[in-house]
Amino acid sequence: MAQVVKIDAKHMDCRNFCPVDVVKGICRKSGSKVIIDSPVCPKFEQLPKCKNCAHYTPSPTEEHIGTCGAAESKPWTPAELIAVTCENYQPA
Amino acid sequence: MAKKLADILDEKGMPISFQYGGQSPEEPVDREVKKSPTPRAKALLDLYFDTYSSATIEFPYWYTRRWEELEGEVPIVRRAEALKAAFSHLTPTIWPGELLVMGKAHYYRGSFPMPWLSEGYFMAKEDELYQAALARGAASADEVTKWGTGGGNVTKSFGNVVSIAGKFGIRQEEVPALLKLARAWVGKSVDDIGHKWEMKVPEYQVKENIMRSVVCMFDSGFTLPQGREVINYYYPLQYGFDRLIEMAEELRDKVAGKADGDGVCGMDRLYFYEAVKLVLEGIQTWILNYAKEAKRLASVTEEPVQKKEYEELADRLEWIAHKQPRTFLEALQLTYTIHIAVLNEDCISGMSPGRIGQILWPWFEQDMAAGRLDEKTALEYLELYRVKFTCIDCFASMGVVGGVLSGNTFNHLCVGGLTKDGESAANDLEMLILEAGITCATPQPTLGVLYDEKLPEAFLLKAIECVKTGTGYPAWMNNQTAMNFLLRHYGPEGMTVEEARAWSVGGCLETSAGCWKELTLNGKSYWVPGGCGQPTSVGVHFISLPKILELVLFNGYDHRTKLQVFPAHNKKLETYEELFEQVKDYFAQAVDVLAKCNNIQHDIWRKQNMCVFNSMLKPDCLDKGLHIGQLGYRYNATFNIETEANINLVNSLAALKKLVYEEKKYTLDQMREAMLANFGFKSAEEVGSFSLASQEKREDVGDKYDDIHADCLKAPKYGNDDPYVDSILAEWEDWFCRMCYDYESLYGKPFYACQISVSTHGPMGAATMATPDGRLGGTTFADGSMSAYPGTDRNGAYALFTSATVWDHSMSQNSQLNLKVHPSAIRGLEGSRKLLELTRAYLRRGAFHIQYNVVDSKILRDAQKNPEKYRDLMVRVAGFTQYWVEIGKAIQDEVIARTEYLQV
Repeated sequence: MAQVVKIDAKHMDCRNFCPVDVVKGICRKSGSKVIIDSPVCPKFEQLPKCKNCAHYTPSPTEEHIGTCGAAESKPWTPAELIAVTCENYQPA
Repeated sequence: MAKKLADILDEKGMPISFQYGGQSPEEPVDREVKKSPTPRAKALLDLYFDTYSSATIEFPYWYTRRWEELEGEVPIVRRAEALKAAFSHLTPTIWPGELLVMGKAHYYRGSFPMPWLSEGYFMAKEDELYQAALARGAASADEVTKWGTGGGNVTKSFGNVVSIAGKFGIRQEEVPALLKLARAWVGKSVDDIGHKWEMKVPEYQVKENIMRSVVCMFDSGFTLPQGREVINYYYPLQYGFDRLIEMAEELRDKVAGKADGDGVCGMDRLYFYEAVKLVLEGIQTWILNYAKEAKRLASVTEEPVQKKEYEELADRLEWIAHKQPRTFLEALQLTYTIHIAVLNEDCISGMSPGRIGQILWPWFEQDMAAGRLDEKTALEYLELYRVKFTCIDCFASMGVVGGVLSGNTFNHLCVGGLTKDGESAANDLEMLILEAGITCATPQPTLGVLYDEKLPEAFLLKAIECVKTGTGYPAWMNNQTAMNFLLRHYGPEGMTVEEARAWSVGGCLETSAGCWKELTLNGKSYWVPGGCGQPTSVGVHFISLPKILELVLFNGYDHRTKLQVFPAHNKKLETYEELFEQVKDYFAQAVDVLAKCNNIQHDIWRKQNMCVFNSMLKPDCLDKGLHIGQLGYRYNATFNIETEANINLVNSLAALKKLVYEEKKYTLDQMREAMLANFGFKSAEEVGSFSLASQEKREDVGDKYDDIHADCLKAPKYGNDDPYVDSILAEWEDWFCRMCYDYESLYGKPFYACQISVSTHGPMGAATMATPDGRLGGTTFADGSMSAYPGTDRNGAYALFTSATVWDHSMSQNSQLNLKVHPSAIRGLEGSRKLLELTRAYLRRGAFHIQYNVVDSKILRDAQKNPEKYRDLMVRVAGFTQYWVEIGKAIQDEVIARTEYLQV
């Protein structure tokens, strides 16, 4: 089933994006270089990140920062943190 | 229009870019040897050329999060848990075409800050970084395609990228987290705690003044607490991670609750072994995460060749996460994994692979014999290894990364030397390593030959072929001189002749202690070398000798910062001897206070930030149950005193001796006045450049200082077989190398002399006024420690060699001589033999090191004007090779100005 593409999604939010540096990466679907901030395509697949996790609560005061509810201590966490290796990640 | 120094020197018959032995052809002459990498390696190298140096907060986030959860835990266990959490959560990225994988971070050229070492930079720049992050908008295509000068350095913020220290780019979305992490370590970092305690040293204010006036360049305790050492891959290669974890558990259980006669550290063994187990588990998970990613990629890849490669990669990674490698490729992958793991554990520059061709020989020999491997395939693996090492970045402060390191990471790979039994250790794999250095020319790993008379001619000529590519490597180190140094210095710690043969170079040119371990593969035994000594990047680094002389002449006062750096000596300096004695006195004062403060910084480091993984790798930590900070390593007397610009000091002393004290042509006051007036030239700041060639004459002073400047320039110069000046060098070296032994490191061991410049001759020159040798204020010093000041070696290479060997090089950890040779001087086989004989001629005099820049200066000048055409051009700076476009202009100019040898 086709995934709904978030309007503000960037290439760095896509599972098919292979990051090269802070500017660009390689699209594993097309094999070509893509700019992180350029619009994504219909083949977009959401990359696990804290901001996409069910345990994540955004901070009301700090931009790009939230709280991880999965850990007992409820630590702060960066919204953009990639969570492919996180044992507690659950898609929101 | 203001006259430039270059034109003035030309008029005086002393051209700034002197050519010895003829004149180079009008048309630029290219390097003779040029080969290409395999398409796979080329594609990955091309990707590197198109990659920004990129930072992420992933590792520090997970480290800090776990650290904070474990308040009150035993420090080494707390740190091991934090490292385990960080390794276990690193995002694996595998780039298309890679056969060797893994990296410091998920970017191709990724790295990350370690605020637990030092967070000061981020706190000082907090507002600036916030503002830069806020100001970021949508990136335009134009903004993100501005390559050229700077190479992959993010020299300024653009698009959604914020520049850190003019080197690393970080996504603006990560800046708030970066600053939050930095705040978490305020008052807790090694930097902050170390600073609190170093201020207890009674002479601390002198240290503060020394740092501000750039008499000394950096504090190693919190910038680069480890490095310039040789790694040891033996234990994982011999046992595999599963068995090592079992061993750590067995040893932990054996020592729990027992001091075994050591009332100070005996009980600590329990915590050390537990920490080892935890870190190994973290590294194992990290490798397995890459295996999972390889499997995932295999599952979504349709192209059959790439799919199979991902499947095989997953298999290799799953195997080496647990067991001893089965094949050469697995062993190569494991050594790279270990290397990166060590670099992620601590901020390190100059972690050298050592003699990898001898360490991996068992797998190479057996794979070749079994027909599992051929030379062509092995060569491709070695090219990929070069690309992966070149992708390594070191995230340290601006002054360290830019000023000291020029962005280089100094992973020195050595070939040659002797076996445990004293025979030539060169082998066929090392021939391929040299070939890969030719076909895939990259700055890392830089190569070095441990030259010994026993090495075969064919091997040495292969190394010369590599030199002729113009990559600046291999460096040539004298095996016997190094062994003499090692035996002299580590004899008290038990080093034998046999063990001295296991040495290799750590970092640029740091002679580092090694040992032999018996490795068994499929029932066959091999003795392999590896590092077993502490870092040599530690101690008093770097002391600017011309700056010391300047302060002597101005009674301890620094005119640039307006600080009274040293207590006024109030001497009239009426004799040359009195002057020289005062130089020694201020130098000794600097060493004394810097050594004390440095000891405190490293003491805090070993208490708060001890390394676990690097400790367990190196003999004899695993046997003793002690980490680096508890003298677990076999050799611990590694702290050194590093000087900068000894040649400018020697040339300046010669000028003063001749012009002021002997001929009395000028008074000392006249010399001081000329120095303050920069010999009638504008200041480097005024000109807007610290480069030699750019300096301009003032138009308002007329010819007032022309005579004194000309006399200073014409005074005897080192590098010409002139006993007048060479005897000053001999006296200085003899005194300096001996005085180091008067100082003691925190480990209760004596210091020793270290003499390399890295790229400090740029920034340290920038902070030093004009010198009596005629060098203008702010401009670069001579590179290395045995290189002549650019353009002043005018009697040929053999005269330079005579000057350089007036002292015993085995009294110092190293010495450094870089020679720029025009490609036309060494054409063909005859040229190769001439270059080899030249090298031998120097090393046979007992010298430690020589290295060549084989390049036509015209190409370098063109590369300055058109950097976009020269993204892959490399040059030798001072003990390291770097991409031309990634080094600063002052150093570029200094390399251009070096004497160009058209005859060897």
